Amino acid sequence: MRNVIVTGGSRGLGLEVARKLAAEGYRAVAVARNMNDELASVIEQAERSRPGSLCFVPFDLACVETIPELVRNLCKQFGTIYGLVNNAALGLDGALGTMPNSDIERLIRLNTLSPIVLTKYVVRRMMSDGGGRIVNIASITAFTGYSGLSVYAATKSSMIGFTRSLAREVGRLGINANAVAPGFMNTVMTRGMDEEQREKIARRSALRRFPALEEVADAVEFLLGDKSKSVTGTVLTVDAGTTA
Amino acid sequence: MSIKGTVISQVEEVRRNSGKPLRPLTNDLVLLESGLDSLGLAVLVTRLEDILGYDPFTDSDITVPPVTLGDFIHLYEVAGKSHYVDNGHTE
Repeated sequence: MRNVIVTGGSRGLGLEVARKLAAEGYRAVAVARNMNDELASVIEQAERSRPGSLCFVPFDLACVETIPELVRNLCKQFGTIYGLVNNAALGLDGALGTMPNSDIERLIRLNTLSPIVLTKYVVRRMMSDGGGRIVNIASITAFTGYSGLSVYAATKSSMIGFTRSLAREVGRLGINANAVAPGFMNTVMTRGMDEEQREKIARRSALRRFPALEEVADAVEFLLGDKSKSVTGTVLTVDAGTTA
Repeated sequence: MSIKGTVISQVEEVRRNSGKPLRPLTNDLVLLESGLDSLGLAVLVTRLEDILGYDPFTDSDITVPPVTLGDFIHLYEVAGKSHYVDNGHTE
């Protein structure tokens, strides 16, 4: 079984990606702070169809200092890491002028610093093992401005720059690095929006709707699979045409 | 095998795949002229961590990166001492 680490794999897109990967023959290792009922139920289903295909590892990704130890333990527990999906992110919004500095720092720590450090330690393993796949979850806010999301957008843009240069750096060692830029989806990150805001965003998209979580998870799975061997350094946008 | 011996054997193994002309391994050999590029060094550090159980580039605050092979070996020997002490081993 190919091992794929999915950060933020306990809910929303991360959980959907983990569920899909487990169903498609991978072993998905969901890394998140806490277990919850939804994840427990998905693990139970996965256990019934293919034991060991979805595992949970508790870890707070904001604890950047202990990431090397996390990777060491993951390798000991599961063996070779084939893929890494950097999905965990914080979705704080607010006008920059009034946003507390501590919130700015938390966003940058979890959305930029943590995935870069995690990738550093995972990619070293992949180099030594002769290949692998990295998929970074970005956002359409990296391309299009949204009031109140400037810091979040900055962190997501950073993941795209990171992806492109990393792809150049590690390509000759058989490692592909790509990003997926989802549009607004029905996740906890958009639950703060009222119905009017949601409808406004949906109306702006070419397909007049939000992309479904499963559709974004499909894009992640494609970038991990054998059909995307020649795809690296790209950003796959799944936004139902919001940025078209 | 000593730490020095382990480092040298791993340097030999990693640089063998570089396809570049290989210079003899001496203490004053500049690492980036040894046939290892930055990616080769990353592979080397990962393999040494697997074998020795520690990574001086993560576990300590290195402000000046090693330039020569001698510096690199010294770094592992120094880190090895504190690693073995911290873990209650004698080398």
